[in-house]
Amino acid sequence: MKRLFQAAAFLAAGTLVLPAQADDMNMKSPEELLAGAKAEGQVVVYSFTSRIKKVEAAFEEAYPGIDLVGYDISSTEQITRLQAEHQAGVVNADVIYISDAPVVYDKLLGAGIVTPYVPPRVADRVPAAFKAPLLAQRLSTKVLMYNEEANPNGPPIDNLWALTTDAWKGRVVMVDPLQRGDYLDLMTEIVLQSDAMAEAYEAQFGKKIALSSGARNAGEQFIADLFANDLILVGSTDDVNAAVGKLGQSNPPLGFTSYSDRRDNAEEGWALQLANSVQPSPGIVFPAVIGIAEGAKNPAAARLVIDFLMGDESATGGAGFKPFYVPGDYATRTDITPHPDAVPLSEFAAWRVDPAKTAEIRADIADLVLTLQ
Amino acid sequence: MADFAIGRSGRRFFAAPGRPLMLIVLVIAVVLIAAPLFKITLVTLAPDTIKAWGDVLWSRLSPNLFYKPLTNTLTIGASVAGGCVLIGGFLAWLVVMTDVPFRRTIAVLSTLPFMIPSFAAALAWGVLFRNDRIGGQVGFLEGLGFDIPNWLAWGMVPSLIVLITHYYSLTFTVIAAALATVNSDLVEAAQMAGAKRRKIFFGIILPVTLPAVIAGGSLSFAGGVSNFAVPALLGLPVRMQTLSTRIYGMMEVGQTARGYVIAILLVLISAFFLWLGNRLITGRRSYATITGKGGRAKRFDLGGLRWPLCALAIGVSVFSTIVPVLVLIASSFAPSSAALFSNWTLHYWMGESTPAIAQGLAGIAYNPDILSAIVITIGLGLCVAACGTVLGLLVSYSLVRAKRGVVPTVVSQLCFLPLFVPGIAFGAAYIALYGAPIGPFPALYGTFGLLVLAATAFLIPFAVQTGRAVIQQVSGDLEESAKLTGAGFLRRLTAITVPLSIRGLTAGALLVFVKIVRDLSLVVLLFTPTMPVLSVVAFRYASEGFAQFANAITVVILTISITVSLLANKLQAKSQPWLKN
Repeated sequence: MKRLFQAAAFLAAGTLVLPAQADDMNMKSPEELLAGAKAEGQVVVYSFTSRIKKVEAAFEEAYPGIDLVGYDISSTEQITRLQAEHQAGVVNADVIYISDAPVVYDKLLGAGIVTPYVPPRVADRVPAAFKAPLLAQRLSTKVLMYNEEANPNGPPIDNLWALTTDAWKGRVVMVDPLQRGDYLDLMTEIVLQSDAMAEAYEAQFGKKIALSSGARNAGEQFIADLFANDLILVGSTDDVNAAVGKLGQSNPPLGFTSYSDRRDNAEEGWALQLANSVQPSPGIVFPAVIGIAEGAKNPAAARLVIDFLMGDESATGGAGFKPFYVPGDYATRTDITPHPDAVPLSEFAAWRVDPAKTAEIRADIADLVLTLQ
Repeated sequence: MADFAIGRSGRRFFAAPGRPLMLIVLVIAVVLIAAPLFKITLVTLAPDTIKAWGDVLWSRLSPNLFYKPLTNTLTIGASVAGGCVLIGGFLAWLVVMTDVPFRRTIAVLSTLPFMIPSFAAALAWGVLFRNDRIGGQVGFLEGLGFDIPNWLAWGMVPSLIVLITHYYSLTFTVIAAALATVNSDLVEAAQMAGAKRRKIFFGIILPVTLPAVIAGGSLSFAGGVSNFAVPALLGLPVRMQTLSTRIYGMMEVGQTARGYVIAILLVLISAFFLWLGNRLITGRRSYATITGKGGRAKRFDLGGLRWPLCALAIGVSVFSTIVPVLVLIASSFAPSSAALFSNWTLHYWMGESTPAIAQGLAGIAYNPDILSAIVITIGLGLCVAACGTVLGLLVSYSLVRAKRGVVPTVVSQLCFLPLFVPGIAFGAAYIALYGAPIGPFPALYGTFGLLVLAATAFLIPFAVQTGRAVIQQVSGDLEESAKLTGAGFLRRLTAITVPLSIRGLTAGALLVFVKIVRDLSLVVLLFTPTMPVLSVVAFRYASEGFAQFANAITVVILTISITVSLLANKLQAKSQPWLKN
């Protein structure tokens, strides 16, 4: 009896102590985390952006002795993999850096596959909206881009509905929304913004929109018309960028891609530019969130990586934030100076994605896209 | 008393010669092959997933989810079968029946394409024919100033060409072997009776070789239907989906139930057509039993067509073997496919990471992802070759010893079942079963063990074939005398069967090794970033637009594949009756 009581007391103490320990680690400064992280020696990051390779180099330079293993895996695939790994009881990743917030909140955070962490060093400089339910490291975009070399006077169209006209048949490029969740979010937002889409239709064609059978609103009609206009679906944003942005084209296509890919214009020989003036909106802006895998094997190093990715104390965020301090990415930290070459966030016409609303109809829109392919 | 009786009969059951072995083999076959296929079916029948059947078969989604991909899949299967029978049959006829020059060279060249993985040929097609429809690098021919139309760059036409050039060597081998058995007496008798060539062809040669034509056709049909890499690389950019690309797409976005349903349907379709082919052959077997001691007939005199036909045959072979290999090698050095032979660089092989190239991706020699993939792939090949050979030997040993009964029949059917299951569907079934813990056993998802299990099971039919051939070669007398001296099963196996047939076994193991090293369709779903294999890494680079890296990795796979295949051929000293004079 006594032993049983002891065991019960031990268990109770255990359940109390464990969260306290995690909390304790969550309160540590990077200096305090460093010893633990060095002892762990390694940290595995699943990242939805290929820029993780640059982060890897910078991190290993800043913290020699800790091996950052970065995997570039699209958000959609990360979600599938993480769910499968969770079901299998395997924890491969320590840090999960991902977009697709609507699904992440629902399927990963909800299922306890990822846990939130906000580095205490920067917590007071990130607006509350970007700290919960998961920390947003930055805002990313999927917007309409055009080739500024071929169109020196600005975007060749002023309304999204122009993309459904003959002039742009077979000349609009994007990634298959069934393969990349952020493109599905873009499609979903267009449906959520059906009122604005209906208004834009009138502006483009001078008459009220008439829905064809199957379309329940102006947004769905737009998606159907866009696909019917020989929309070109490719496998990755870099394919979109090359198609739209490549220099020396006389009649380049338009495409939905990340505003921040403009950063590669010089390196890759592109002339990508944002079509910010397009009605009703050029696209979406959404958070790139980051968290720690439940049961992560390297908890201290994982927290150190997230702290590093949030940028240092300089005005541009230093080495950790450098790959993201580019025009078209917007830091969530209020004290990082906005990039001078980008449209300021206040003038940026893209729609802000509402993860909860998106999650409600996202599966329907995926099925709609499936019927159109 | 009753207890005793059961005990005794039970004991007799287990004591029967080969019985314990048979039961072990049965358990292995069930665990490796039957259980995953049973589980994937079970999963789709669960209350919250059964809806997926409706989604796939009768909803507004079905045309795009199932029926259009099905149409494409069947079109591919039928066209590939037709094309392969035509080309393979034509080459076999040339080599076996005619006086075409360079017969031996043509025969060797005709067996080569199968050594080149189909995704290598698809990548090579992209390097040559890619146009600017989806942006990125254009291919070599566009670079030369040709305007490549969409239908030639993407979709059905290139998929068919690539698949036919891949599978025709299969039909060639089967049909050539059959033609070599055509009894020359029959042909000569017909000639003496004044029959024209046409008449001889349709009256004698075709009926005798028909079983082989059907077998070759149905094999290439099944190959075309289950192929994943070619439609994925050449079809997806124009939204051409087949059942295998649909399965992949659904699994990758987490719509697993729908993916499983399509996988089950694909297995059924593939199995149905192979079964149909089998039925047709069985019906015509009487023709093949005509035997007699005929000499080799006089070869057909091609006359003025000798050289043109020789050129055509060699042209086809060169186009389907040498050209893709050269193109891939060149492309792994050329920064731009449009200018395939200029500005060559070693960056994709041994360059360090620079931000200017491919988002800072380092060349093969410095790329930890690729290096670990090489190690894992070769390790996987070795493990599967070893496990497969041992298992194949055990299975065929137990089957040869015990010919009748329910258990041997079940074992033998189970061990040939994977032939009917397309790789991608098999991968899906493995995820369905081993993706979650089973009782006390941890889940195997993402482990090396899962890859080994799945690949061993997938290649069991080939391993069993090798095992059978080997065991039948070793005379039963040796085995019997060893038994009389009291040697146990293991001792007999290791002291007699294995040493005597080591060449054949090694050759079989090497072929299994090659099959898994170059396989994409099975591993593409089992892949995890922490357990990479070469073919999937190449596939992913190719779909992300890093063509040179994909091609360089493919060259590595090709080198392994061709070297080991040739080695295996040499060890096997394959009988090629059609080359005899």
